[in-house]
Amino acid sequence: MKGTPGQPSMQTRLLLLVLGFATAVWLLSAAFTWREAQHEVDELLDSHLVQAASLLLVQSDGDIDDLFDTPVLQRYAPHVAFQVYIGKQMLSHSANTGNEPMSSLVPGFSTVLRGEDLWRVITLHSARLDITVLVGEKVDSRRAILWALMRSLVGPLLIALPLFGLCLWWSIRLGLAPLRGLRETLERRSPQAVEPVPLDGLPTELQPLVQTLNALLARIGEMVQFERRFTADAAHELRTPIAAIRAQAQVAMGAGEDQVQRHHALQTTLAGCDRASRLVEQLLTLARLDSSAAASFATVDLAPVVQRVAAELAPAALQRHQELVLQAEGVFAVAADEILLGVLVRNLLDNALRYSPPGAQVLISLERRAGATCLLVEDSGAGMSEEQIAHLGERFFRVLGNEQSGSGLGWSIVRRLLAVFSAQVQIDRSPTLGGLRVQVLWPK
Amino acid sequence: MRVLLAEDDAMLGDGLRAGLRQAGFQVDWVRDGMAAERELASGVYAAGVLDLGLPLRDGLEVLKALRERKNATPILVLTARDAVAQRVIGLDSGADDYVVKPVDLHELAARLRSLVRRSLGQLQDTMRCGDVALDASARRVTLRSEVVALSTREYDLLHALMRNTGRVLSREQLEQQMYSWGHEVESNTIEVHIHHLRRKLGSDLIQTVRGVGYTVQREPPPA
Repeated sequence: MKGTPGQPSMQTRLLLLVLGFATAVWLLSAAFTWREAQHEVDELLDSHLVQAASLLLVQSDGDIDDLFDTPVLQRYAPHVAFQVYIGKQMLSHSANTGNEPMSSLVPGFSTVLRGEDLWRVITLHSARLDITVLVGEKVDSRRAILWALMRSLVGPLLIALPLFGLCLWWSIRLGLAPLRGLRETLERRSPQAVEPVPLDGLPTELQPLVQTLNALLARIGEMVQFERRFTADAAHELRTPIAAIRAQAQVAMGAGEDQVQRHHALQTTLAGCDRASRLVEQLLTLARLDSSAAASFATVDLAPVVQRVAAELAPAALQRHQELVLQAEGVFAVAADEILLGVLVRNLLDNALRYSPPGAQVLISLERRAGATCLLVEDSGAGMSEEQIAHLGERFFRVLGNEQSGSGLGWSIVRRLLAVFSAQVQIDRSPTLGGLRVQVLWPK
Repeated sequence: MRVLLAEDDAMLGDGLRAGLRQAGFQVDWVRDGMAAERELASGVYAAGVLDLGLPLRDGLEVLKALRERKNATPILVLTARDAVAQRVIGLDSGADDYVVKPVDLHELAARLRSLVRRSLGQLQDTMRCGDVALDASARRVTLRSEVVALSTREYDLLHALMRNTGRVLSREQLEQQMYSWGHEVESNTIEVHIHHLRRKLGSDLIQTVRGVGYTVQREPPPA
């Protein structure tokens, strides 16, 4: 897998960060050491200069010439220089100086430029002997000491730093091995796999990540499972009406002279087509609902929606001599989508009319209860047992012995819609009509 | 032939019943598993068409219960599930045939006839007894290769007797095999049909066992 360009890998980032900080800390400490060392070296060498000058002063009483023939002094001659004056008269000087004093004859330290080099010069004056001693030392030689010090400090580090980087690179690689392992595990999985990624052996840092991933996988798995089951159920449920249509059509074809049978079979064929298309309609509604997450809704007045649906379904009710009564006075505002609300009311009312016998009463009403809006659909049909109510909303569940060709999908749709609207439903026996009573409550 | 249809869907059940009747079957229709099990246990059906998704009692359970009680009525399973695993379970549970919805009525009738034939140990649809031959798929009876016109009931009666060649069937047994529910059978109906059959096919074919019933022997007794 290639990372997105411009996004360095964690390994590179860690390596650069640690190396960068290590170098910075080391540079800082080197600068500090330099400063400290310079101070100490200056102090030490200055005191040596003073000491040397004092010795010269003391020696100036006697013969000092033979003092400078020693080879030791020869060796260091280019780096150090001295001059001894009696009054203004040059008494003695080192080979690398002339008669001109290196510095002013005022006693004390001074730094002077001689030729191309900077010299540190100490001037001592003895009033008793009237002798002035100047001892100089090249500043460069002091620098050389510091540089030597720095070299011993920096040298090993220049070798150590790449070595350190290499070790670091290897350690980070080793430390990130579980991450690579996880990546390989994920890469090996088939795209359809929804079983959880095993947690054992994973470091604590990765556990929450994998747990979150597993939770996601579980949700996807559920959805896939649900889709598969739904497709199978839907196909199964469509097969029966199609089988019925086919059988009835064949009966019509084979009816021969029997006009009554042919007519009945053709009528049933048409009814079968209506039933199949209604089923398809419901399946589509359900599929749309299943894919739509709970959205936020604007406020809609429930009363006109209920009125419209009741008006649409009234002709069918009249045909079966059913009495449809609507009680909705006032404004009943609920947070919902108007079209989906229509689907909900239609399903509830259609169920009540469809599963009540001819001549039954169906009452649809709107109420306000302690601020909550309540939609009630009651009928005078047979109602349902507790067990049947418990099964309601299971897709394709139907109450036995019902002549009506339902698929049980209506209730699935209702349940789904209620979940989308965050409304509650209560199903029991109607105290006034004796049949089923469905109450939908929108909490305030 | 009398068959039991167990199908909970009103529209499909109605269509299958009408279609099988057109194909010459006597059809009784039940709508749930309990009724299917009860009716099939009676043993009067030549075959059963069983939907698997029945309420109260699942079709597979009905089938298993039936087979456990050594009831060998040929059963054709009708289902909307066509997964191979489902079919295997169905057949292993004792189904004799397995048809996935939607089904062609002619095919369903042919499969039922085939089931009944196999259950009787016959290899062909034509049954013979002496000069008389009965072709169940064409519902045609011939005497010395001449087609004999029979009424539906006469044919059904002869079919029932020839299916059970060598066995003596009582009048009640014959009535049960010939008439589906809702048909009033008068006390002497069978005798009348027997009389007609003897007139059309010769008196030797069907023999009366007094006080027991009627039988068709494999080889008619020499005249």
